[in-house]
Amino acid sequence: MRDSAVVIRLTRSPAGYNHRSEYIKVAFVSRITLALSKGRIFEETLPLLAAAGIVPTDDPESSRKLIIETNRPEVRLVIVRATDTPTYVQYGAADLGIAGKDVLLEHGGDGLYQPLDLNIARCRLCVAVRKGFDYQAVARPGGRIRVATKYINSAKAHFAEKGMHVDLIKLYGSMELAPLVGLADAIVDLVSTGGTLRANNLEEVEDIMPISSRLVVNQAALKLKRDLIQPVLDAFSGAIKP
Amino acid sequence: MRWVLPDHIQDALPAEASRLEALRRKLLDAFRAHGYQLVIPPMLEYLDSLTTGAGQDLKLRTFKLVDQLSGKTMGVRADMTPQVSRIDAHLLNRRGVTRLCYCGSVLHTLPSTLTATREPLQIGVELYGHAGLEADIEVIRLLAESMCVAGVPAARIDLGHMGIFRALAAGAGLIPERQEELFGLLQAKDVPDLKLLVKDVASPWREALLALPSLYGGIETLDHAAERLPDLPDIRAALSDLRRLAAALGELPVSFDFADLRGYHYHSGLMFAAYGDGSPAALALGGRYDLIGAAYGRGRPATGFSLDLRELALRVDSQASAGAVLAPADDDPALATAVARLRAQGQAVVTALPGHEGTWQEAGCDRQLVRRDGGWTVVALEGEI
Repeated sequence: MRDSAVVIRLTRSPAGYNHRSEYIKVAFVSRITLALSKGRIFEETLPLLAAAGIVPTDDPESSRKLIIETNRPEVRLVIVRATDTPTYVQYGAADLGIAGKDVLLEHGGDGLYQPLDLNIARCRLCVAVRKGFDYQAVARPGGRIRVATKYINSAKAHFAEKGMHVDLIKLYGSMELAPLVGLADAIVDLVSTGGTLRANNLEEVEDIMPISSRLVVNQAALKLKRDLIQPVLDAFSGAIKP
Repeated sequence: MRWVLPDHIQDALPAEASRLEALRRKLLDAFRAHGYQLVIPPMLEYLDSLTTGAGQDLKLRTFKLVDQLSGKTMGVRADMTPQVSRIDAHLLNRRGVTRLCYCGSVLHTLPSTLTATREPLQIGVELYGHAGLEADIEVIRLLAESMCVAGVPAARIDLGHMGIFRALAAGAGLIPERQEELFGLLQAKDVPDLKLLVKDVASPWREALLALPSLYGGIETLDHAAERLPDLPDIRAALSDLRRLAAALGELPVSFDFADLRGYHYHSGLMFAAYGDGSPAALALGGRYDLIGAAYGRGRPATGFSLDLRELALRVDSQASAGAVLAPADDDPALATAVARLRAQGQAVVTALPGHEGTWQEAGCDRQLVRRDGGWTVVALEGEI
């Protein structure tokens, strides 16, 4: 059955459209779609794709295409916003996706398989405050602070674990500004080199967790398209850099 | 924003409603033909009886209200399975095998997935009082037949076994909270976090738990499992059950997944799921839950499956059902006879009312009765009338 497919032929007749399904031999009955975001994740995924023998035919940085074909006709890429990757995979709009652990924690990777830590796009989720702010004085059970962040769930869980009350302010960007203008006492954000924090007179006071990107897989796809997905999984797994 | 429905709640308009109803009838007929008796549990009952023995998840998903008559908290059912177990354990009290089926709306406080409805139309079967594999085989065959009757393309059955997880978790000596965490990680095949969780677990349990997420696929998975899992009586029994099952289901497309766990609080043995081409998640879920009846005072072996008709209806080819026949407003007794004959054949006949506005197509008509050669004949409805 792998090399045949049901096609539905539409024919026009005076009474309207007729359709008739029949089996035909085709090269591929199914294809797999990998969702990933532009920038760092895409760049760092290229070597993994190469290990699986997959080479994209376009560069999303220069092309405006959102669906990118590859050298393998049964594999295509879709370019999505990082935070949307789990959504695409959960709906089955993509079979596989590459998403940061931060995104999965916020989205709640429910209904997704997350079998591989690809160890790419690495950074840390941390708490940072304005230099001179006495974080240790409030970072105790019963303490209360105002925190600006994009990562509401992760921040809530972290401070709840410490027994602290937090008033969370959801921001979508330029988090570093919040403590400087008195909007918040602290921020919870991703830090990779710490350059932005230093440039804005902030300091990291607490590490919440290391972050890297995961391969996520739609549950039904892994079962129904195992022949196509398993080799990609194996190749990725063999090409992960420590 | 008037008359907007709450999020994840929907009407079924005529086209969808007729599809849902056709599916419901087909499935209930199939269940009845296998001797499953229909029960109709109430929409709501005291919260205790709805959630006894169930996990936190079901408790959170149950809508609650206070009964003005008794002052007790009631819940709107979020799952009919516990209700049917209550009926078997507490009301029917039969000694032998009991086969029950059911169909009805359930309500969820939270949708189970992004696209899921909060009011699934749950339909399913339960078989009580037989602990043998024969009961599981019967139920899985019925599931496969249901998929076939419903017209699900390329349906396949995925099998797993809770006994393996329970044996490994117990062997590894994890406390219950850790076991639940482990359960969640295995469900997600989250190998990176799984490695962290089991890093202090002794051999061979650690290796066995780490092997579970990759033990999925065709029949060869059983051999891989036998090689990679410790040789324990419970695991040997589970593998031998799966092997016998696969042999008994020989003609059905089956696959295996040893980390596909569900129902931490109630599943006890074999588990199965049905998948169809193009659906992003399992269409039907089932398995053994020998422990649940005990919560209602009488533990009985139990196995069964259930599915959401709304989800199923999205995944099957919708054969457009034949439209209705329009009968003109006419006192001719021959017309009345023709109409009665068509209706007796199961056709829908719509009688024209004087002064009708709008087109007949919107009333679902695609043919009409016309007087021809002194009699009444059905012809296609041409044009907009």
